[in-house]
Amino acid sequence: MSPPRQSATDDDSSTEDDAASQTTEDDPQIPENQHVPLPPAQLHPPPIAPPPAPPNPPPPSANGHTRARPRYELRHTLSGHTMSISSVNTLAHATLHKLLTTSPKYGRRPPGELVRNLNGHTKGLSDIAWSPDSVCLATASDDHTIRIWDVDSGLTSRVLKGHTSYVFCINYNTEGTQLVSGGCDGDVKIWNTSKGRCIKTLNAHLDYVTAVHFNRDGSLVVSCSLDGLIRIWSLPSGQCLKTLAEGHNAICQHVQFSPNSKYILSTAHDSAIRLWDFQTSRCLKTYVGHQNSKYCIAACFSVTGGKWIVSGSEDSKIYLWDLQSREIMQVLDGHRDVVVAVATHPQQNMIASGSIDSDLTVKVWVDGGAT
Amino acid sequence: MNTSLLNPFNIIYPTAVQASLPSQCSLARFDRSGRFVVAGRSDGSAAIWDLETRSSVRWLEGHVKGITSVDWSRNSRFVLTSSKDWNVIVWDLASDIDPPQRKTTIRFDAPASSASFHPRNSQIILALLQSGDAYLVDLRKKHRGRVELEEVQDDSDDESGASPRSAMTVAQFDPTGRHIFVGTSTGSVLVFNTRTKTMVARHKIAGAGVMKGLDFAKSGRRLVTNSSDRTLRQFTLPTYSPPNADREYMEQELEPTHKFSDPINRIAWHAMSFSPDGEWLAGGAADPASHKIYIWDIANDGQLASTLDGGREPLLYVHWHPSKPSIVSTTNHGNILIWHCPAPERWGAFAGGFEEVDENVEYEEREDEFDIEDENVLAERKMKQEEEEVDVLTGKDAEEEVVDHPRVNGDEDDFAWADDEPDEDTREWKMKIMMEDESDMI
Repeated sequence: MSPPRQSATDDDSSTEDDAASQTTEDDPQIPENQHVPLPPAQLHPPPIAPPPAPPNPPPPSANGHTRARPRYELRHTLSGHTMSISSVNTLAHATLHKLLTTSPKYGRRPPGELVRNLNGHTKGLSDIAWSPDSVCLATASDDHTIRIWDVDSGLTSRVLKGHTSYVFCINYNTEGTQLVSGGCDGDVKIWNTSKGRCIKTLNAHLDYVTAVHFNRDGSLVVSCSLDGLIRIWSLPSGQCLKTLAEGHNAICQHVQFSPNSKYILSTAHDSAIRLWDFQTSRCLKTYVGHQNSKYCIAACFSVTGGKWIVSGSEDSKIYLWDLQSREIMQVLDGHRDVVVAVATHPQQNMIASGSIDSDLTVKVWVDGGAT
Repeated sequence: MNTSLLNPFNIIYPTAVQASLPSQCSLARFDRSGRFVVAGRSDGSAAIWDLETRSSVRWLEGHVKGITSVDWSRNSRFVLTSSKDWNVIVWDLASDIDPPQRKTTIRFDAPASSASFHPRNSQIILALLQSGDAYLVDLRKKHRGRVELEEVQDDSDDESGASPRSAMTVAQFDPTGRHIFVGTSTGSVLVFNTRTKTMVARHKIAGAGVMKGLDFAKSGRRLVTNSSDRTLRQFTLPTYSPPNADREYMEQELEPTHKFSDPINRIAWHAMSFSPDGEWLAGGAADPASHKIYIWDIANDGQLASTLDGGREPLLYVHWHPSKPSIVSTTNHGNILIWHCPAPERWGAFAGGFEEVDENVEYEEREDEFDIEDENVLAERKMKQEEEEVDVLTGKDAEEEVVDHPRVNGDEDDFAWADDEPDEDTREWKMKIMMEDESDMI
């Protein structure tokens, strides 16, 4: 089932960062500049024409379905990170490049080119979010602030201050007028992006807020936390509408709305990804097979071709499930450490993935399409 | 989108001021989505406010004298402003240029006191002048023209002309757009057919004096009038027959179903607005020293439900949100007050699997609730359940539901006429939010 793998030899040494990776987050001696400007990311391998279609036809699935299988292949490996990502601080730098290639605007560029290093935060980053028009990038940092960057110039356009602890997760609404962020103090904040002011603070959880997400029309926010709860909030009133609990051994660490905002997708530390109908609090689908018991690993929907659920895993692979049948449709092998971040391209069959500690690369996977 | 999660029983009427927007404006209206508010100022400019971010997103500068009325098109792409400078301007909010470009300027020979879009087509505009004349302006290529609405005089009365032609003081489309309702200085309401521009009915309202305002419940069956006798009257409207060739019209005296007034202070009313379900009526009091909105419960025999106190700044205008228990009111100091219904915290929502009940409920356990079942069977059943297909892509927002009015015989001509040459105001259109950068915020 594993796709024809290209030799992804990232000879970028990452051993030099081992010491740095041990730095605790609240250590004030942490190096100021986490994005050491490097030569532009090298491409391994160079973007040659995609290899010919794999000779093996998709094997018929077990229950006789004739669903087309995804055929993602490694297209690029982006290295350039020098600083490791701590185990709590998962989504860090990796996502920066990852989303550069998956945002609509930069997807058109010759992919794999390091566009810009953004320097400014004094401590590590935990999460980033693209504005819907791909003009701005918001970053959540351990220095208790959120910065909004103008990507073309690389300058900070806003610094959002207000969190009393590390900012762990961040997301834009569909129109790009608001940001939602979650911090390690358990607060969820709603920000006005153009004025840079906090509109609302929700004392949402008792533990680290690990994911926040707006629904499509911006009337709901979903948050999840290490206290094991998923909460749904009404905006603009800030009222808690619902709490979902996954069970005592399943601490939820990532949550997002489905594209139509009818369901939510959550990942939990019992190595399961669940699709919930939040109206009825019913779990509709469970996706298992990967490993996830330690890190905050994000899962996401892939809807550009077939309908897949994509997630990283602690066995250094990326798993693709069929949304309906819950079968594993493809396993992408290539990273050398835990894959904590994945993202799908909004229009193309493209997946970006980021890995931590000893790998430190971002890989871009492309489905060549029907052959 | 979250209506299904909200408790439907606590949606009533607003009770508290949620926000105050300093806008220097005298009147403000929600758009059909309820997200934006257009505010007209007495210096001739208008601003569009986005309530989600509470910031002004467009600035409309074109009039040189005070704005007298504002209106939104169906899907909020066009804004209509009328002004004392004799102009009525249609603004197109889709233009990329800031400030937005005016689409059309309609010039009259007297100050315009109000203007409104036809509910189905923003190229048909009703304008009322301070001289007491109402015009229907049609900007469509095929129907282009400007027609004055003329009251048919009863010539069976004394021929001497002792009763001079009454001036029109207020004019408005009904929610379907089939009819135009005009209030006159002699206390009557005239009904015109929009397509033929002929008068189909005249309602004398006893004791009303000069008509000052009209508002319809969403269904279009109920009308509330404001007049110089300091009383709001609610009427149930009859069905109007389509105009016939003989230009006959209905002469009928309407009896109000409810009368609303303040019997103690005898205050006059600046404006009134129905709630979206038509069960509540908000009246803005013309009190020179306070900001008071009276809420009447129409479903409950029209009794006064509440008086909202918005401070010391006198009230000028009131408009109810198109779907929520929210009101926008303006003060003569120029502030816009957004009223809302503060949601009580639902503590039950904070615990997973719990539900709040109003009173104690005897719990009846299901027959098999505490049966011990084989785990494999359970797992298998769960697997079975998960076979169900889910749709993560498509879905309808609640706001996309179309409110269509009940059709009466003879409507088809009117609707077909109005839908001819549709405007560019499509449902898919979404306003791009542009906010002024405040670079000093860093």
